[in-house]
Amino acid sequence: MPTLPAWVVQALVIFLTTGSTGQLLDPCGYIYPESPVIQYGSNFTAVCVLKEKCMDNYNVNATYIVWKTNHVAVPKEQYTIINRTASSVTFVSMAYLSVQLTCNILTYGQLEQNVYGVTVVSGFPPEEPKNLSCIVNEGKKMMCQWDPGRETYLETNFTLKSEWATEKFADCKTKRGNPTSCIVDYAPIYFVNIEVWVEAENSLGKATSEHINFDPVDRVKPNPPRNLSVSNSEELSSILKLSWINPNIRNVIRLKYNIQYRTKDATAWSQIPLEDTVATRSSFTVQDLNPFTEYVFRIRCMKEDGRGFWSDWSEEASGVTYEDRPSKAPSFWFKINPSRTQDYRSVQLIWKTLPPFEANGKILDYEVTLRRWKSPSQNYTVNDTELTVNLTNDRYVATLAARNRVGKSDASVLPIPPYPFQASQPVTNLKAFPKDNMLWVEWTAPSKSVRKYILEWCVLSDSSPCVPDWQQEEGTVHQTYLKGNIEESRCYLIVVTPVYPAGPGHPQSVKAYLKQAAPSKGPTVRTKKVGKTEAVLEWDQLPVDVQNGFIRNYSIFYKTIVGNETVVNVDSSHTEYTLSSLTSDTLYMVRMAAYTDEGGKDGPEFTFTTPKFAQGEVEAIVVPVCLAFLLTTLLGVLFCFNKRHLIKKHIWPNVPDPSKSHIAQWSPHTPPRHNFNAKDQMYSDGNFTDVSVVEIEANDKKPFPDDLKSLDLFKKDKVSAEGHSSGIGGSSCMSSSRPSISSGDENTASTVQYSTVVHSGYRHQAPSVQVFSRSESTQPLLDSEERPEDAQLVAESGDRGDSIPPRQQYFKQSCGQPDTSPDTCHFERSDQLSCGSEEDLVRLKQQPGLGHTSQPCGSEQVKALQEGSAADTFGPRAEGHTEKLETVGVEAALDEGIPKSYLPQTVRQGGYVPQ
Amino acid sequence: MRGCSRSYAQLLSQLQNQANMEENPNLLLEPYIHLQDLDTDILRNSCMVYPSVFPSEDALRALSKPGFLHAVHATLGRLWNSLTALQKQLLQDQDLPRLTITKHNIQGMRNNIHCLAWWLGSPLETSEPTQGGSRVSLTPTPALDVFWSKMKSCRLLWGYHHFIGLVGRVFREWEDNPNRSRRHSPLRLVLPKGTRKIRPSRRGQRPVRRAQRPR
Repeated sequence: MPTLPAWVVQALVIFLTTGSTGQLLDPCGYIYPESPVIQYGSNFTAVCVLKEKCMDNYNVNATYIVWKTNHVAVPKEQYTIINRTASSVTFVSMAYLSVQLTCNILTYGQLEQNVYGVTVVSGFPPEEPKNLSCIVNEGKKMMCQWDPGRETYLETNFTLKSEWATEKFADCKTKRGNPTSCIVDYAPIYFVNIEVWVEAENSLGKATSEHINFDPVDRVKPNPPRNLSVSNSEELSSILKLSWINPNIRNVIRLKYNIQYRTKDATAWSQIPLEDTVATRSSFTVQDLNPFTEYVFRIRCMKEDGRGFWSDWSEEASGVTYEDRPSKAPSFWFKINPSRTQDYRSVQLIWKTLPPFEANGKILDYEVTLRRWKSPSQNYTVNDTELTVNLTNDRYVATLAARNRVGKSDASVLPIPPYPFQASQPVTNLKAFPKDNMLWVEWTAPSKSVRKYILEWCVLSDSSPCVPDWQQEEGTVHQTYLKGNIEESRCYLIVVTPVYPAGPGHPQSVKAYLKQAAPSKGPTVRTKKVGKTEAVLEWDQLPVDVQNGFIRNYSIFYKTIVGNETVVNVDSSHTEYTLSSLTSDTLYMVRMAAYTDEGGKDGPEFTFTTPKFAQGEVEAIVVPVCLAFLLTTLLGVLFCFNKRHLIKKHIWPNVPDPSKSHIAQWSPHTPPRHNFNAKDQMYSDGNFTDVSVVEIEANDKKPFPDDLKSLDLFKKDKVSAEGHSSGIGGSSCMSSSRPSISSGDENTASTVQYSTVVHSGYRHQAPSVQVFSRSESTQPLLDSEERPEDAQLVAESGDRGDSIPPRQQYFKQSCGQPDTSPDTCHFERSDQLSCGSEEDLVRLKQQPGLGHTSQPCGSEQVKALQEGSAADTFGPRAEGHTEKLETVGVEAALDEGIPKSYLPQTVRQGGYVPQ
Repeated sequence: MRGCSRSYAQLLSQLQNQANMEENPNLLLEPYIHLQDLDTDILRNSCMVYPSVFPSEDALRALSKPGFLHAVHATLGRLWNSLTALQKQLLQDQDLPRLTITKHNIQGMRNNIHCLAWWLGSPLETSEPTQGGSRVSLTPTPALDVFWSKMKSCRLLWGYHHFIGLVGRVFREWEDNPNRSRRHSPLRLVLPKGTRKIRPSRRGQRPVRRAQRPR
């Protein structure tokens, strides 16, 4: 079987596919219009018409139609049932640029089936194209361009139409993506008016631009002149001749030209007056040029009457004018070297090279002539710009001329004064100021006729020497600018010297800046002296390199950490300033700023602290206090000296002779808390001779002074009892300062209780607190006093803690503090007592006039002591002893407010009898 | 008229410029002479014979302005056909590239003459250029020998330049004295007092014609 060609197979497949799909895609209805294009924002109505066959198949009619836009159902309110087969939908103010509109039917209840769909496109009709213009580039076809107007959002065709009165030309259709211009496909025909317009058209309409009628020759942009050349003339050093070839359009139209030129190094162009080049030509001579100067030219052309467009600029061409003799004498000046001999001096003649516009050619050399009075002149030919000669001290006249290929300049004359020479007649009112980005110098000419002025200047710097530059000005000039490389923010020292026929005048100088700036560094401030309320600040003048301008003033900013900043302005001539009204003992932060006319710059911050006291203030306080103390001490010594017998009586009481003592017997009413049983043996040893029992009535409810009074009374009694007990009271006092001895004796045979101090209720009230109750023996105390190391051993044994010493128990009880905090008050208070002690206090109180004199421990200590007595001594912790005190209190039988005293008696062991 | 210049003076100027441009023999004649190796004195002299197909200067000057315009318009039409034929005779366009431009310029001149005649109130028929006049056909005869054909074409081109030069001179005279009364000029613009003789017209609006038609 012959094989079918491949293309036949493909065609069959396509045919069959198309036929089958045609049936498959046979729609159930149609939407009209089929491809709607509407104006954006306008109303639009579409109609969906169902086919009868479809309606029968699905058992539907137009009421089953559902409209959708972009798959979203359109509200039913927009539907209109036209008849059984047609339904329309209306959109008011269509606001979509493109929307898919579908017609659907609801089959079998709610099953939605698409019937047909269209795409509704909206946009705008074209606007009238505006600003139509055409250009004919020489040798090319005419191009027209226009403004197409607003975006239409639709495919819009722009057609450029053109015609003569007798002929229509082919339309120029724009290319896609460039609807704003078109190039016609016919050659321009000059001198025939053509009418051109643009038609814009899309689905919504058509718009036509304004017709323009013109002769294409009036829209010509010629090609630029070519082969521009420049030639000079040996006869005239100020002209250059330009030649060029005109563009071919020159055969059709007359041309005018625009010629521009500039010197080679310049950027700005000069222009030949247009009226000089209004006619067609191919050459032009440019005049009034500088000799020996290279000029660059360019040219362009356009239609003579100005209609059309200028051509592009031609390629640039350059030429050099011919040389001429130097037009000016060089600037000429001299310096006398400091080293000189008796008869000769070394003079350096210096001059400036002529600028090109004055040199008018290449300077070959300089001719220098030195002439002394009635002497033959000395001639030099120099290629450099300086000449050093040794001259006598006479007056000389130097002349200088520059020479080029054409000739030499006029001579510059410089008088060199004799030595010595007294210069005079300086310029006056010398000023320097910036203007137009140049540094100008102005002065008032001296009354005497000046031949010329020499201006010298240099940059003032701390880091580099002054390297002067100079320039010469005519004698008639009194204002000029410095013709050098003047930099901004640099300080220039400018010196102006008038030169008279006899010699130079006296120079005058001035400093100036071309442009000031803020200092690049601020001044560093430091303190010179700091007082309690003032501080003297000092700083150094800023180096000129960082000043960047004239320092007009300084500002000092100072503040405390929390305070506001205070600013003080200081004149620039100052280098120190005193800050006053400062607060003592305060940290201050201070910084300085230096200001020029253009701004300021802060220096680093510096801190200082004002002292608390002014100088000498401490001495003023300490010295009087010391003197007062010394005086007090002296008075005390004197007092002690006067009362030495009394003091001796207190300090060194008469110690009884133990060998003459008798065994005392304690009262049987001794409080049972004391274990006298253990002491029975001690008593039997007869180690103490005297026992005193003192009962003090105390009331913790009473104010402390009363207690103190009662204590005073008690102590007075003790003092008075000393006369009988031979210092037992003193021993008691001493023992109170060493409780370890007395309280640790319960297990010690060497100590015995010899006194009990209690207090009863105030005014027959039941005592609430037992202050203390104990007895002490004087004898062991005396022994320990004589050997304090033993006492220390005892204390150490207590510290070792192998057995809790009773004294500690006592102090814990008396302190009223928990056992867990054994560290405070009592030991401290004990120390206080040991330092001043009740005894001392009592003694001092007993001394007239010194009852409240402060002690070395100080009144506070006394007060603490008093408070401790009130709070601790009579504190609730003593309640544990209340019952025992009651027993004692009853037997003590105290009278109201009067403490009873008991003199030691020889009684039975363990008892005593009230006296 | 649509497409025409809005100014009579401009039209006249354009025609003068076109004539000035086209009278230059360096544009067509000289290149053709060099191209056809006719650059000898004898041949040049024999080439410079004013063809009878072109109206003579006297004949042209004897015409009224509308008549002159009609005559020139018709002659240029025939000339355009002759140049087209010549163009076909030449092997390649680049042999005489200016020929195409000249043909365009001839069409442009005819357009300007049409506009000028309309300005003068004597519009021309807007028929396409026809195949020559009734008297002489300007189309070269291919059957003749080549030399004679070249000489004929050379005379055609020389005659073209000469004719255009003549037309240009006449137009310059019109410019120098626009109100000049011609001896045989039955047609003249009669404008009301105080109105400019030359004025721009609105597009598609004919100027008011106040002239008598030729009798």
